[in-house]
Amino acid sequence: MKDFRELETEIKKASDKFTDIESINEFRIKFLGKKGIISLEMKELASLSGDERKQNAEKLNKIKDSVLEIIASKTEELNSEELEKKLNSETLDITLSTSKSYGTIHPISQVIEEVITIFGDLDFFVAEGPEVETDYNNFTALNTSEHHPARQMHDTFYVETETDGMPNVLRTHTSPVQIRSMLKQKPPIRLIAPGKTFRCDNDQTHSPMFHQVEGLVIDQESNMSHLKGCLEIFLKTFFETDKLNMRFRPSHFPFTEPSAEVDIGYTKKGNQLIIGEGEDWLEILGCGMVHPNVLENVNINSNEYQGYAFGMGIERLAMLKYGISDLRTFFDSDLRWNKHYGFSPLNIPSIIGDLS
Amino acid sequence: MKFSYSWLTEHLKTNAHFEEIEKKLTSIGLEVEDIQDTGKAYKDFIVGQVLEEKKHPNADKLKLCKVDIGKEKVDVVCGAPNVEKGMKVVYAPVGSTIPVNQMKIKAAKIRGVESYGMMCSEYELGISNEHDGIIRLEEKETIGRPFSEIYGLNDIVIEIGITPNRQDCLGVKGIARDLASAGMGELLERKISKEKGSFKSPIKIEIQDNKICSAFAGRYFKNVKNTESPEWLKNKLKSIGLRPISALVDITNFVMYDENRPLHVYDADKINGKIIVRAANDGESFQALDEKDYHLKNGMCVIADEKKVLGLGGIMGGESTGCSTETKNVLLESALFDEINTAKTGRNLSILSDARYRFERGIDPNSTLKGIDLATQLILEICGGECSEVELAGNIKENKNEVSTSSSYISRRLGFEVSDKELISILSSLGIKTSQTGDVIKCSIPSWRQDIHGEADISEEVIRIKGYENIPTSNIRLKTKINKNILNYAQKKLMKARHFIASIEYDELVTFSFTDSKNCEVFGDINKLKIVNPISEELDILRPNLLPNLLQAIKKNKNRNFDSFSIFEIGSQYRSTSPEDQLNVACGIKSGIKTEKSWKNMQTEFDIYDVKQDLTSLIDYLMPGNKKISVSNDCPSWYHPGRSGSIKINNSVIAGYFGELHPRVANQFKIKNKTNIFELYLDELPNTEKKTTNKPVLNLSDFQIVTRDFAFVIDKKVKSEEVVTSAFKVDKELIRNVEIFDLFEDDSLGKDKKSIAIKVTLQSNEKTLAENDISEISSKIIESVEKSTSGTVRS
Repeated sequence: MKDFRELETEIKKASDKFTDIESINEFRIKFLGKKGIISLEMKELASLSGDERKQNAEKLNKIKDSVLEIIASKTEELNSEELEKKLNSETLDITLSTSKSYGTIHPISQVIEEVITIFGDLDFFVAEGPEVETDYNNFTALNTSEHHPARQMHDTFYVETETDGMPNVLRTHTSPVQIRSMLKQKPPIRLIAPGKTFRCDNDQTHSPMFHQVEGLVIDQESNMSHLKGCLEIFLKTFFETDKLNMRFRPSHFPFTEPSAEVDIGYTKKGNQLIIGEGEDWLEILGCGMVHPNVLENVNINSNEYQGYAFGMGIERLAMLKYGISDLRTFFDSDLRWNKHYGFSPLNIPSIIGDLS
Repeated sequence: MKFSYSWLTEHLKTNAHFEEIEKKLTSIGLEVEDIQDTGKAYKDFIVGQVLEEKKHPNADKLKLCKVDIGKEKVDVVCGAPNVEKGMKVVYAPVGSTIPVNQMKIKAAKIRGVESYGMMCSEYELGISNEHDGIIRLEEKETIGRPFSEIYGLNDIVIEIGITPNRQDCLGVKGIARDLASAGMGELLERKISKEKGSFKSPIKIEIQDNKICSAFAGRYFKNVKNTESPEWLKNKLKSIGLRPISALVDITNFVMYDENRPLHVYDADKINGKIIVRAANDGESFQALDEKDYHLKNGMCVIADEKKVLGLGGIMGGESTGCSTETKNVLLESALFDEINTAKTGRNLSILSDARYRFERGIDPNSTLKGIDLATQLILEICGGECSEVELAGNIKENKNEVSTSSSYISRRLGFEVSDKELISILSSLGIKTSQTGDVIKCSIPSWRQDIHGEADISEEVIRIKGYENIPTSNIRLKTKINKNILNYAQKKLMKARHFIASIEYDELVTFSFTDSKNCEVFGDINKLKIVNPISEELDILRPNLLPNLLQAIKKNKNRNFDSFSIFEIGSQYRSTSPEDQLNVACGIKSGIKTEKSWKNMQTEFDIYDVKQDLTSLIDYLMPGNKKISVSNDCPSWYHPGRSGSIKINNSVIAGYFGELHPRVANQFKIKNKTNIFELYLDELPNTEKKTTNKPVLNLSDFQIVTRDFAFVIDKKVKSEEVVTSAFKVDKELIRNVEIFDLFEDDSLGKDKKSIAIKVTLQSNEKTLAENDISEISSKIIESVEKSTSGTVRS
């Protein structure tokens, strides 16, 4: 039986001298290479016999295992040292940066989408009509005859084309969409119609182009109390408040009877407008029960069907909700304004997520 | 409509507090717009008398006055030219606030001399525009008396908004009547003596056209004195912002504001023969009381005599028969003019007058003679003289409006139960007489309410008097949906486009639908887009394209120091001013700096490939799935002809354009930077609405992917896309992708040549491709590309 103590000592001595991967490799070749010390000893085993071979083989295998282990652990050790060194040299100045920017959605579009989302949840579909309208759809069908004083309050823009002998107009409100929709569809009807409207008026608080959203519900039972319920849900959801002081006041629109204007309560805290609470009133929209004459004008039997309509200014909603103080800035295309008041394109208004 | 609280209480006996009345007015539809407690505003001003007046030592135009204000005598420096010794004035003491400018009076040195308080003009007190001198009060005024008492300003003035239907509330009496109906007190009837008249009117009246004027009552007064009105009348008119003129005119104004009955007085001595009410003829003209000449048109209602036009019926009287202090004999008119004719004439001649305002909204026919009676009483009282009998031409038609309704109809409309009893009681409080047969309640509408025609109107009256706050709130959520879709395909497309474009760095703008025709000839037929009454010359047509306003926005922001623009708008542009001749377009502009020069990047500028990428990825987003997109050079004239392309989808419709703005157009808008534009005609995109929610079947190959690069030298004129498509078509199964990875132009390649390098990706669904498979397909690719581009492969 051979004593391998000498071999073990030699291995230990050699293994203390590792400096890099190369020296580990040399170590491996020295002991485990084809002509390595351990390999040669292994070959010699064949010449031994019986127990001695068995015992020597056992010992040699143990030594071989220990060499492999040394190689593995030393390699790992050296690799980590190497990596550590590399990492220490690889630093970047994280205070430097580049930026990625998104564009913005205009507040008008944002508010229209919010309004659609709220009313969509209440089963109102979105109806549309053209921005150039016939005099009939814009006025006459809406129970506003040619010389009705209400017409003069509208400051209408006229164009050179005509329909049935009357000059066409830029629609002064979104209400003609009621007429177009009722001619197309029989009750029950629930719709909203957001869009551009035009009046020949231009000062601090008037813009020749602005936006409105119209609402119309026609069925067999919808009445003033439903109108109140409808507007209450809408205004609470839109202004994202549980508290809402709301006041209905009599008013007059030729196409609704009874007609009402709706005020909401507000208070001012510093520069902030708090909507919903408070004893001061802000006018927010006009509404009423659809006038029977309007229903008859679109061939809907006014004895069988009734319903309500409402209309409100998109800019006004936007100004109150988002604290925008000047109407005219909406169309001024000042990019500083757009970037400040605009919305992220990824914020699509949602009933389950965020409205705004 | 303005009125004072004291005037209101002449018609309304009430115990209610003013605040209650204020609230009630708004709640019955007479919205309170403004309240001025003039008593408060004028409480500090008192009567003073100038005791001494001498020149200021340091200023030519200023005077030093000693003013007696009762409890003391004060020094006041005054600049008014009309100040003189002995004059009674309105004195504003130190601490008071001047109404017109809210200036607080302080004791101050004026050019070195102490001054305590101020003497006021009507302008400074906010009473009129008179600011040439300070107010000269009557000699008899007591020193120290509150000024507000003299001018009748110790009152509350209320301004309410009257909706066009409530013509009955254009007089104080009507307002009182409505308040009484709503439980705010009792309506008082004014005692009016009914003079019979002692002689027949020498001026006869003839109505030639009873459609434009159904009745005309006239009364002749002789030997009147058209003096200044008494204090009470002047103050009443002043309190609501009217300027007293002379007793006769003031009386008619008073009756108009009190009873909502417009009247007119003519100087009878200036009338030639009889009064003729007739339609005007083209070419006639007359000078109205506003001293302007009006040219009349056929059909306008005129009051004429046998020689000329005296006035426009229901709108404005004429200068020639106006009353002056010399007037001795007058004719008083109270007539019923047609609403529509009055409205048309007024609009046509652009005359706004209180009479027109009332006649076009409808006048209570029963006020015709009542107005004459009230005015007669006042004229005789103030101006003296004698009156004739009333001369009436035409017929005063009794308005006999009748409406049938039922409590069930009213309840159904309002959303809560209204009993027969409650309904009848509300109606009777409004002066509506009712009679009931079974469920049907028949209502006789009083003559002053011209706005009640049907059951719906009755429902409004009920809720108005009961109070809108009593409407309950009902749930509107439905058990079953009635609309399949909230947004249709086209609407969803617009919304998606908006969010997509904003997500690739564009800021959304909303610009006017109008624009300036001067910049638009290139974009469309501006003659078809004209607005008849534009708000300004620069906004005289509907926009034929979204670009003009966006280009202007760029120009504006350039002046605000922006040097990088990514802006877009989605909206309609117009082909003509016919309804529905509008189309939905998304238009984006990228211009200027794309990446700023930084520690990491070189500065780069936007080019047409940026907008092309944006446009094609937008189309991809809006129309997912297979489609063929091809580009060609046929762009509209606002694009740079060599640097623009049109995008065709599936070889059928042109859906949009991209490219550089034509230098000539850029120049017109004074834009110097290259402006890269895309336009997408959203209505033109083929409908690719999903028919199934399933995605197409996915076939994945596990065999090896191989890529091969090729480079070809081709003519510069040949589109590089040709290289890609001719390579692709060699084997649609094996060739998975073809991409251009290099473009190289150099004279060494030959004149007008370029080199295009492509990378072809190959993969089979059945096997790993062997070298000979690959070289076989490679030579086919070379052959195909060389053939279709007339180029040669570079080796």
